[in-house]
Amino acid sequence: MNLVQRAVQYGGELAPLVISKGLTSGTGLMNPSIFIDNDGDILVNLRHVNYTLYHAENKQLFSSRWGPLSYLHPEKDLRLVTTNYLCRLDKNLKMTDYAKVDTSALDVPPIWEFVGEEDCRLVQWDNDYYLIGVRRDTTTNGEGRMELSKIEIDKANWNVKEVSRLRIPTPGDNSSYCEKNWVPILDKPYHFIKWCSPVEVVRAHPTEPKCDQVSFRQNLTPPSDQRGSSQLIRWGNMYISIHHEVILFKNYLGQKDGLYFHRLAVWDDQLNLVGLSPNKFTFLDGRVEFCVGIAEFQGDLLISFGFQDNAAFVLRTPRGVVEDMIMEALTYEFN
Amino acid sequence: MSSIEELVKSAAHDMYNPALNFEIAKKYDELSQTASAVSFYLRTAEYGYESHPLLAYSALLRMSVCFDDQKDRAHTVSNCILQAISHIPNRPEGYFFLSRFHERAGQWQEAYTFAQVGLTFSKLELEPLPMNTDYHGEYVLLFEKAVSAWWIGRKDESAEIFKQLDVMDISPDYKASVQSNLARINVAV
Repeated sequence: MNLVQRAVQYGGELAPLVISKGLTSGTGLMNPSIFIDNDGDILVNLRHVNYTLYHAENKQLFSSRWGPLSYLHPEKDLRLVTTNYLCRLDKNLKMTDYAKVDTSALDVPPIWEFVGEEDCRLVQWDNDYYLIGVRRDTTTNGEGRMELSKIEIDKANWNVKEVSRLRIPTPGDNSSYCEKNWVPILDKPYHFIKWCSPVEVVRAHPTEPKCDQVSFRQNLTPPSDQRGSSQLIRWGNMYISIHHEVILFKNYLGQKDGLYFHRLAVWDDQLNLVGLSPNKFTFLDGRVEFCVGIAEFQGDLLISFGFQDNAAFVLRTPRGVVEDMIMEALTYEFN
Repeated sequence: MSSIEELVKSAAHDMYNPALNFEIAKKYDELSQTASAVSFYLRTAEYGYESHPLLAYSALLRMSVCFDDQKDRAHTVSNCILQAISHIPNRPEGYFFLSRFHERAGQWQEAYTFAQVGLTFSKLELEPLPMNTDYHGEYVLLFEKAVSAWWIGRKDESAEIFKQLDVMDISPDYKASVQSNLARINVAV
């Protein structure tokens, strides 16, 4: 049973996130990151891309010319370009405001094909808002690093502007090729879960390109690599987050394909991973789905996710369902 | 009329159902959210090619329109049409889409040929498609044939078809185009 079905049958709600085609040319709106700020506003960062993900499922009889999974960018523009829209939802999860994040003050000409800050998680630390995602357009080989992108929101006029940008190095020698999907810990400013097995917690710096390892320890062993998805949020006397796992493979023609699944993770106060959904789940039975945000709202859990890189939703998951998922996660057997 | 929210919620228990995916796709399509529509149209085709062949056919044709709307994706536009045709080769709509695609690209022989192939199926009694397409009937194929015939040196044939179209009961936009073409090629009606 997919999670939307499970949530809806216990009274949950689902809200699609859509922005006028006039702004987006109809291409993908995806991977939303939900967050409730200190004013109680429900905010979502919504990623817009210049491509349409073509992903043939089932027997893949109707693949694209480039295979079952292709990023269909304009044929005369090979870049995969991301822009971000900051949206505000009302308590019924209807979008009331949206604005493209104005990054013009800090933009430099991109030198790789993946352009823009991707899969940003929205947080508020020390009363400042940040979009935290991966940027890969600053080197000629597409090296990816997490970036702290500080934004200012003019709520009266609903304008959003990036005012500072900081590329976060890795702890140590900073030689890895691509860092992405670090999990921001909402009540520990500038702290992230970098890896889940072993659990590595790191701390970045708000104004300097620095990052230190805070802890590194083996907790329970997941069945496969658990990659970051949502932020890590407080839930009662524990923390929870949603993680994704990817199965990448090629068909008999050597064309790439992939499957994405998610699990709920449970953490104790010391950020030990103490529970993990024993069964991976999907949101809507899509083969490529991606959760980038969660937030507690009136006792329930709001989960924002993308479907096939082409559609975005917020799922209001009743507290009872979340508690059941946590209980299931806590039954995960340690290795 | 159901919203996307209602459609997806009601489909959540059966997300592999081609008809439900098709309804969600149509709703996104109506909002010009073409990427979202493509995902659900493609699921319609993949999960419905056997059980719902007309839905699959329509979905593939509609995908071509979505990609065309996004601009500069011509190879994908034509690929979707070709897949529809290969799925159900004995219907006229796919050939019309393909003829129009080539006509817009100035590939006149291809446009003429596929219009002619489509016309061989245009008089068959066929089950209507489950959604409106730009195929309004045989006359749209005749129109494509008339336009492309002119550019491949068949001017008499072109004029003859345009004159034929001019007395047919066709949609106002086609009527206007027919008369404009007749005027341009100086044929007295």
